[in-house]
Amino acid sequence: MKNKKYITVVFDDEVPMLQAVHKIQESDQSIQDVLTPFPVHGLDKALKMKRTRIPVAGFICGAIGGLFGFLFQAWIFTVDYPLVFGGKPYLSVPSFIPVTFELTVLFTAVGVVSALFIRSRFIPRKKFEPIHDRITDDRFVILVDAAENEESTRSSLQSLLAGISNVEIV
Amino acid sequence: MLQSPIRVPLIKGNKTYKDVTEDILRPMINRPGKVWYLGISLSGSALLFGAVMIVWTIWHGIGTWGLNRTIGWGWGITNFVWWIGIGHAGTFISAILLLFRQKWRTSINRSAEAMTIFAVICAMLFPIIHMGRPLLGFFIFPYPNFRGLWVNFNSPLVWDVFAISTYFTVSLIFWYVGLIPDIGTVRDKIKSRFKKTIYNVLSFGWKGSARHWHRHEVVTLILAALAAPLVLSVHSIVSMDFASSIVPGWHTTIFPPYFVAGAIFSGFAMVLTLMIITRKALHLEDYITVGHVESMNKIIIATGSIVGLAYLTELFISWYSGVEYEHFVLLNRATGPYWWAYWIMMTANVISPQLLWIKKLRTNLVFTFCLSIVINIGMWFERFVIVVTSLHRDYLTSSWAMYKPTIVEVGLFLGTLGLFFTAFFLFIRVFPVIAIAEVKSVLKSSGEKNPPKVEKNEK
Amino acid sequence: MDEQYTFTKRVRNILAIAATAGLLLTVASIFIFKPDSSRIWANVLLNNQLFIGIALGGAFFLAVHRIALSGWHTALQRIPEALTSFLPVAFLLMALLFFGMKDLYHWSHSDLHDPVLEAKSAWLNLPFFFIRMVLYFAGWIVLTWGMKKQTDALMDSGDIKFHNRRKIFAGLFLVFFGITVSTSSWDWIMSIDAHWYSTIFGWYVFIGMFVSSLAFMIVLIWFLKRAGYLAVIRVDHIHDLGKLLFAFSIFWTYLWFSQYLLIWYGHIPEETIYFVQRREDFELLFFLNLGLNFIIPFFGLMKLDLKRKLNWLAGVAGVVLIGHWIDYYQMIMPGAAGEHAGIGLLEIAMTLFYAGLFLFVVLRALASKPLLVKKDPFLEESLHFES
Repeated sequence: MKNKKYITVVFDDEVPMLQAVHKIQESDQSIQDVLTPFPVHGLDKALKMKRTRIPVAGFICGAIGGLFGFLFQAWIFTVDYPLVFGGKPYLSVPSFIPVTFELTVLFTAVGVVSALFIRSRFIPRKKFEPIHDRITDDRFVILVDAAENEESTRSSLQSLLAGISNVEIV
Repeated sequence: MLQSPIRVPLIKGNKTYKDVTEDILRPMINRPGKVWYLGISLSGSALLFGAVMIVWTIWHGIGTWGLNRTIGWGWGITNFVWWIGIGHAGTFISAILLLFRQKWRTSINRSAEAMTIFAVICAMLFPIIHMGRPLLGFFIFPYPNFRGLWVNFNSPLVWDVFAISTYFTVSLIFWYVGLIPDIGTVRDKIKSRFKKTIYNVLSFGWKGSARHWHRHEVVTLILAALAAPLVLSVHSIVSMDFASSIVPGWHTTIFPPYFVAGAIFSGFAMVLTLMIITRKALHLEDYITVGHVESMNKIIIATGSIVGLAYLTELFISWYSGVEYEHFVLLNRATGPYWWAYWIMMTANVISPQLLWIKKLRTNLVFTFCLSIVINIGMWFERFVIVVTSLHRDYLTSSWAMYKPTIVEVGLFLGTLGLFFTAFFLFIRVFPVIAIAEVKSVLKSSGEKNPPKVEKNEK
Repeated sequence: MDEQYTFTKRVRNILAIAATAGLLLTVASIFIFKPDSSRIWANVLLNNQLFIGIALGGAFFLAVHRIALSGWHTALQRIPEALTSFLPVAFLLMALLFFGMKDLYHWSHSDLHDPVLEAKSAWLNLPFFFIRMVLYFAGWIVLTWGMKKQTDALMDSGDIKFHNRRKIFAGLFLVFFGITVSTSSWDWIMSIDAHWYSTIFGWYVFIGMFVSSLAFMIVLIWFLKRAGYLAVIRVDHIHDLGKLLFAFSIFWTYLWFSQYLLIWYGHIPEETIYFVQRREDFELLFFLNLGLNFIIPFFGLMKLDLKRKLNWLAGVAGVVLIGHWIDYYQMIMPGAAGEHAGIGLLEIAMTLFYAGLFLFVVLRALASKPLLVKKDPFLEESLHFES
């Protein structure tokens, strides 16, 4: 969020909040962000959010993990240190599968979580000023972009959201 | 989402979002009661005793255990398998039930996942102690070393190393990712300056942005989709420690799925034990309702019956196989010197869960609580039966032996119980025991306040 | 709401012709190519197993969803229900095996001189084999009939007591099925290699049944939607079916691997012989089995949007169905027909006959009542659910 200028619209329920999101989307105002205490069903669609590509990152990490796991074992037992165990061939594929599987899962899991943290800029911070101190409790907040003109945005929001109950424009 | 009118509400007492936050945070923010101090001092003493026994074992060697040449695996491996199994219910609840869209899981998943992590820690202790020289425990990992050796990737014990360390890592990050939004809530609610700073750091600056929620949901689903096969693989690989050998009674192909079912069975028993106490002690009866207990009991019937079927399959096939060693092992289990362990296992695991077909019993908390402990004991004996009775009668009669645990082994087991409960007691003070955000997200559809509406949702 | 499938003359004729052609070609190939009688009977058994599996998988799908109070499947419950209507026909076809016992099952010979098999004769003997067969079918037919009856009653009255009763039937079915699915697969398939045994075998066969049944349901829904029915089954339902097919294909692989790995690792000759025979004499099919039942659904359905495209999903489901045919082939043929086995006109024709017959029975049952259970308490939930 580079642009610091915004108007905070606070709701006490997700239903009016969703209505407001629809209304603001239809108007010429733009929404910077919506902050909610829990994932509101249908919000990503209302905001026309693009689906995250984290699954792709996961697939790539998993593929790397799986290939690495298998090839590593194969290399050890055919090239680096071939040894007969229990009469099995050097390249005993079935017994490489468990470790390959575990490494695939491990790489994918670590990969998607890292992707989540990096993309969302989750960094341990010492200071944190919440935009509204009840966002993680029971308030739903829409941040409307007010870079152009704060006063006109505010007044147009007021008329736009007139029909919705329990709105608080800060 | 629309709900059928015949569904029972999952969260009682007309809660608002604010109520949810406050009810769940209350046990964290208030001073702990006498019960908590009593509990943690009991479990803490058990933990201390266990710690002394660990030092004792390492100082004097594995000779202090009751193992002998025939029975090289005793309590240690029994406890290991038992603990790993208990951990499985947490992952089952958080991953598989999420994929199956079981909304009732939201009230119990957090503590069940915590339970998973503590149980896996307890489990991991046993192989490490059993090494005798735990300081050389890193030998089990493949790393380039001056001896030019690698670990044996053909060995199920090495698979175990990978399975359990992966399982632990993935469970931990899954749990933590789920915790982040709730830590944000704690951060915003807690009064103490010092604690606020700590929770702030732990919350990774969570602010509840829609974009973050979207990613969070996707990542949770992916982690669930990974954890589901992972949980199957872990206990399967544990079962392969036995099944890939050719010891009669161990070498049987049903072991992987049967161990998984048994793990979830015992894990749910432990979840029930914990949840029935927790809901009472922390006054969370509105969130963990009798309905939740009933749902868990249904899973106990299902997994218990699968375990029962596996026992019967093993019995039948051992006869059908025509292998005299298999005949002997199964007969010896039921009628040999360890017959009592076998019959405890049979009664506790196969017969007792069948009582839950009766609705009166599965909605009775006292009965369920007692039964959950019976099942925990039964599943411990299952592992004991598998480990000890298969070993104690070797092919050569000259090697026949009996196994009796020493006080050191008993102490180690008590110690892990102490570790488990101590960790759980600390957990309920430090983190919210119920996933606040997840409960809020099902409050509208499954709470009491909002009767189900029959109207089409906006798309 | 009262939408009903009409089993049109055209479809009826096509299926009747397919089944008749399959039957005629089967007879023709028997006379022309003169295959060994063991191969013919093994084919009968294979197709019986495949289609009984699809029917029972449907029943299991229903029972599990009911007992778990599932909502989403309510809109499509008539489809698995229709699959179960094949069971009585399957019983007649299975009873035909009476004439092929000697060809299929070595243990049924009277002059065995084999101490291992003689020791098993308490279980593996002709009268008990058929008594068990009758018991299995009686249980399956009665319990699926019970579920069906209660659903029909529920459809008209909406009385919750019928819903509760069908839950009881579902529970009874699950218990009965849980036991009989293992025992029947020991009887019908595992005892072909009468010396061999594997404790996981019943569960392995069961999961194959469930996956093939899911795949068949998807193909059937694809067919019905193309014919213009079931508009209420939306992309969300398709997505869920796709997820189930994806997940249980992986689960099938897990059980396959558990069995293979442990036998391979243990290296006990009496056990490994099973896989040695399949790896060496049926190598292509051995790997094709894994490819079609694991690799294709795994990579084909991993991506989210691919699970939501019915055409694609139905294609993958079709591949999986072929895969499970091969899976049964792997289980049955090497032991029953051995060197006489092959894949030729006989196999194709007989499967054509069974498929035509099966679809005929199923579609007739589907056409006999409305596609939606009108007053089902979960119907609204299913119509509006989002995956």
